[in-house]
Amino acid sequence: MIELKNIGVQFSGKVILKDVSEMFNQGEIIGLVAPNGTGKSTLMNVIMNYINPKSGKVILNQKLEYTNKKNEVKIHQLVSMMPDQSDLYNQISGKEHLKIYSSMWSSNQKLIDRTIKELGMTSYINKHTGTYSLGMRQRLCFAMQIVSDTQVMLMDEVMNGLDPTHVELISQILVKKKSEGKTIIVASHLLENLEKYADRIFFIKNGELILVNDLSPGFEEKKITTVRVTRMTDEIKEKFSKEFPKTNIQSLANGATLIDVRGYDAEKLGSIVEFLQENQLTEFSFGKVTLNDLYSMYYQEG
Amino acid sequence: MRAYFKMEFFQFMSNKKNIAIYVILLFLSCYYALKIAPEYDPIEKVDVLEIEARYLTREEFLDNVVIREGMHYLTAFAVSIFPEWNEYDKARLDAIEKNNLEEYAEATSKWYTYSDKFTFESEVLYYNPGYYTYGNSYAVMDGHYAYLSSASRYEDYTEGKSDLSVNVFEERTALQTLQRLLHSYLPLILLVSCILFTVDIVLKDRQNPTLLQGLPLSDWRKLIVKGGVSLLGSILAIIPLLVGLLIIGSQYGFGHFNLPVPNYSFSEDLFSTITMGEYLIQNLLFIVVWFFFIISLLLLVSVMLKNEFANLLVGCVFLFAEFIYFSRGIGIEWNAQWYPTSYVQVGQIISGYRNYLYVSDALSLRSGLVVMGLCTCVFLFLIFLMSNHRKFKLL
Repeated sequence: MIELKNIGVQFSGKVILKDVSEMFNQGEIIGLVAPNGTGKSTLMNVIMNYINPKSGKVILNQKLEYTNKKNEVKIHQLVSMMPDQSDLYNQISGKEHLKIYSSMWSSNQKLIDRTIKELGMTSYINKHTGTYSLGMRQRLCFAMQIVSDTQVMLMDEVMNGLDPTHVELISQILVKKKSEGKTIIVASHLLENLEKYADRIFFIKNGELILVNDLSPGFEEKKITTVRVTRMTDEIKEKFSKEFPKTNIQSLANGATLIDVRGYDAEKLGSIVEFLQENQLTEFSFGKVTLNDLYSMYYQEG
Repeated sequence: MRAYFKMEFFQFMSNKKNIAIYVILLFLSCYYALKIAPEYDPIEKVDVLEIEARYLTREEFLDNVVIREGMHYLTAFAVSIFPEWNEYDKARLDAIEKNNLEEYAEATSKWYTYSDKFTFESEVLYYNPGYYTYGNSYAVMDGHYAYLSSASRYEDYTEGKSDLSVNVFEERTALQTLQRLLHSYLPLILLVSCILFTVDIVLKDRQNPTLLQGLPLSDWRKLIVKGGVSLLGSILAIIPLLVGLLIIGSQYGFGHFNLPVPNYSFSEDLFSTITMGEYLIQNLLFIVVWFFFIISLLLLVSVMLKNEFANLLVGCVFLFAEFIYFSRGIGIEWNAQWYPTSYVQVGQIISGYRNYLYVSDALSLRSGLVVMGLCTCVFLFLIFLMSNHRKFKLL
């Protein structure tokens, strides 16, 4: 497990991370969500000690801290960060990259072939990475981290440039790694995908780490909590408020309108459906608030 | 660490700049072997016509001179020294005619010793005119060194330790060519190559930061591995140079590791000889120590200034600084033996020629190893301290 204790980071007087304290446990996938430039990568860089925080510390397994270079090596044996695809060596093959990472972390060599197979990289893994497409490079970077086989894995924009099939494939591998007891921290903009496999998702705003569940209680529950209407005019919204004065209604910047139906029985839900049909609103769905909705609420409104 | 070394070495060998350096060295080596070496025209060569002309002129003089009281002192001087001088020249001519190279070597050794005895500090006798070209103000000193050095070399040839030939006498064989090059610009070429190999060995990683930053290896160890790779790469620079030696060897013979290399002792103003094998091993050792020095220096500059140009500049300053202060005879005044920069001319240090130029006995292989070794230790200690600082970042 990895613990962040009062982490504070400032760049040129601008606060990037403010007193961040959090514990990430074994066998857990953590999602980090925030617009670009709000501190996701900075947080990962602090965890890797690439950036010295102004205050606070990172504690691994309740004992290891970045107090000296010896400890840094010990922590890096256990914590790795996925490399950026633009940093690959273009003149050597993907397999060479995997071999380098595997031998640097002295991991099981069999993982190399297994990972190549799992990620469908067999046809090109022996070619120079300079010939790879963005998606192929991205898969290789992911594979490199998988073969390093560390206890904690940090992945920044892991799904970048991947087609839906590979997004799904990588998601499955992440879940498998989680079941092996790995702690995986993923920063991603593919919110729907992240929502599927992340155990906890954090937003970062004003330097703070905010658990999504705290923003929207019941976010993790599997009950009908929201009716999501795609297009609802102000006039209909007004009409709705008059007809259902005790029901909360919220418009999002992405155009959707959320009707809070937490605790509603079938009869009450039926009356809402009736209202929507009467007003020629046919594009709506029942479910819960999605991560996309929360993101829109949290970041796109004012 | 082994995996990291492998990775670094692979990168080193596939680095376009490094490949270009090896190719340039190979080209220079072949160019030297095919174009420059055949045109080598030593001042001290086996020139039968010259010996004969000198011999006959003096013989004619001795045959016709009338010895009487009150004759010019220079005539008397010539009469006194020419007979023995001609005896040696005659012996040289006879030996060549009989193709007896040992006898030629013996007579030539005596000839050089005898010639120097009367030429050095003489106002009327001169060394070979080759030393007086291009306004050389130190022609007499150069001639004195060359004559005594040749005397020592030829004396050793008589001991029969190695096969003799005119090419050996004129130092044209492959090993002797290498010896001559080590005595001139070859060390500089190797050291410049080492600088060029090392300037980016640390800073190249800035192009792949996320790939390398998190490797479970301390910065100190990474730097040591990088230094090791650079050292190995610099030593491998010898290989393209060997190609040139093979070409020269096929043309003029390879020479022998028992061939003598004159060694000057300033304190005794005397020459002794060491074998070619010893000379080459000492050169190799000294050059490797220089590699250590340059690599540790550039690693230190890399972590301090993080700029390739700064690396190049600092490396070149250390390599060429001697040109700024060097002047013949300055050694005693400047304590030049304490500057690592005074030891760049590796071959000249080992042969003692540098001491001859500095007029000092302080520059030796031993003092060089001590100075360079101490500096290297200081550089490495500073790198160790810096790289182990908690907040130090290699990239």
